[in-house]
Amino acid sequence: MGSAHSVPAEMRELADRTGFTSEQIEHLHRRFKQLSQDQLTIRKENFDSIPDLEFNPIRGKIVHAFFDKRNLRQESDGLADEINFEDFLTIMSYFRPIEMNMDEEQLERFRKEKLKFLFHMYDSDHDGKITLQEYRNVVEELLSGNPHLEKESARSIADGAMMEAASICVGQMGPDQVYEGITFEDFLKMWQGIDIETKMHVRFLNVDTIAHCY
Amino acid sequence: MEVAWALGQAGAVWLAAVLGLIVVPSALGISLGISEAYMWVLVKTLEWATIRLQKSAKKPQPPRIPTANGIIERDETPMEKEIALLHGADFEFSHIFYFCRKGFEAIVEDEVTQRFSSEELLSWNLLTRTNVNFHYISLKLTVVWVIGVVVRYCFLLPLRFSLAAIGITSMIVGTTLVGQLPNCSVKNYLSEVVHLTCSRILVRALSGTIHYHNKENRPQKGGICVANHTSPIDAIILTNDGCYAMVGQVHGGLMGIIQRATVKACPHVWFERSEIKDRHLVTKRLREHVADKSKLPILIFPEGTCINNTSVMMFKKGSFEIGGTIYPVAIKYDPQFGDAFWNSSKYNIVSYLLRIMTSWAIVCNVWYLPPMVRKEDEDAVQFANRVRSAIAHQGGLTELPWDGGLKRAKVKDTFKEEQQKNYSKMLVRNGSVGSLSAETESD
Repeated sequence: MGSAHSVPAEMRELADRTGFTSEQIEHLHRRFKQLSQDQLTIRKENFDSIPDLEFNPIRGKIVHAFFDKRNLRQESDGLADEINFEDFLTIMSYFRPIEMNMDEEQLERFRKEKLKFLFHMYDSDHDGKITLQEYRNVVEELLSGNPHLEKESARSIADGAMMEAASICVGQMGPDQVYEGITFEDFLKMWQGIDIETKMHVRFLNVDTIAHCY
Repeated sequence: MEVAWALGQAGAVWLAAVLGLIVVPSALGISLGISEAYMWVLVKTLEWATIRLQKSAKKPQPPRIPTANGIIERDETPMEKEIALLHGADFEFSHIFYFCRKGFEAIVEDEVTQRFSSEELLSWNLLTRTNVNFHYISLKLTVVWVIGVVVRYCFLLPLRFSLAAIGITSMIVGTTLVGQLPNCSVKNYLSEVVHLTCSRILVRALSGTIHYHNKENRPQKGGICVANHTSPIDAIILTNDGCYAMVGQVHGGLMGIIQRATVKACPHVWFERSEIKDRHLVTKRLREHVADKSKLPILIFPEGTCINNTSVMMFKKGSFEIGGTIYPVAIKYDPQFGDAFWNSSKYNIVSYLLRIMTSWAIVCNVWYLPPMVRKEDEDAVQFANRVRSAIAHQGGLTELPWDGGLKRAKVKDTFKEEQQKNYSKMLVRNGSVGSLSAETESD
């Protein structure tokens, strides 16, 4: 006896583009409003209001990723100052769980996108390569909470990991060869065969808010 | 003239009805059953409304999951296990995954800020304020809703308001009168009578239905009563069933008048704003009060702020350092009939009271838990956590280690460093660092 629930056209377009259902978009919209304090855009400072996030050692990188124009699929480079809800959803879509009805090609694309997101997190100067220094920065950030761990230890962890990466990507290196940095193709090679899709998603529970007539 | 006289007559009849049917029985502590009849009608109406809503939904509804527990599925495996699973124990890019995901989960939804907004209901309770998306569903439902609005605003609100006015006035007048008497047992008895009567009137003013459980564990004199905090009404809910010495800050205005009047009759502990900052002074005064076994039990809300009644946050250890016996009490409101949570950042006290008075009713359960004392080897913080667990367990609330003060402030740095230390310790322990620092010689 009720009227049909009319989904606004833009919501449907968002749903198609990002792959979220309209319910999930509504939840995220509410969350966005909460974070932005009812403004239309979010800035970096708005992420300070999340206590759970404070514990995260790579908090800076995660927040940075939201404003990274490469992740926002914009042509230009660099950082945005503020993002609107559409951008928020775009970033969130990197963490969408895989669906049952995806075919091979879609899965491959999905995986590549997730890895690209991760790659951008490491590659802070946007030159398309993860250099030793950049990797060291990430390790230091991860270990920043422990005052007992000296810089040297962090450095050696980074060096060790970098060497392993080099051996996977380039094979045996000559004594005068310098490994410049991990490119995205090398990055993909490292992760071949390892199932990351299940580790890199946020799964929504099936919640139905009341008084909806579909 | 005729009109004025008729209005006067109507007013008198109204007042007589209110006094006779509500005030006098509550003074005597008996119930005429009017509230029960009202609640029965209310429950039947809400059930009917829910059934209608479910019928009109064309899609079969999937099983409802209470949204108070979150909208995303969280993986509860501890950090160590998860990272170990990811790619052996070596430090690699894989560690980033774990933190990345945790970060995103926190951004989508975090445990703390959701506790500072009202609990979401599983089915609509015919109040517009709880309906997130109002859709036209059926004529009958809308008619019932309109009737509900009329009943609530035109009948219940004036009734409740007059009751509240009567209650507060009699509290002030009664306690002032009793306060004139010299200190003796008669005075204490009378003061208890006055407090109880006024509480009962105020509870009726909210259409409150309270179920008390385990009354044998009720707080005794010389003890400290500790409860979870959801709204300013909590105090009235508890004083409906017993007399307590309140603890709090001196306010101005109407609240200040009430405080000054009541302290003459009964030894409540009111602190000036400047005194509150001095923790030693506060503890000293409370300790003196508790030491006197003839004084009423103190009522304290250790969370320090209003939480939305789905969880219990960190208890401030100050109340647990005073000593004495602690009587924990768990209060759980039923949100179906009216949301008692005071979101102080969204509503001020007046609009909050207005919302409460235009809800259907306030229904809650109060459990008195067995008394607890601090053990020899426990410090105040551990004791506080023990009491908190007992309250959360009884009330069916989740326990959060977070400080209610996060409503307004940021996470303390010490907390953050703890977590980060954990991670780096684990990393180092896994031997990935090799033979670098002394701590790594393990496994």
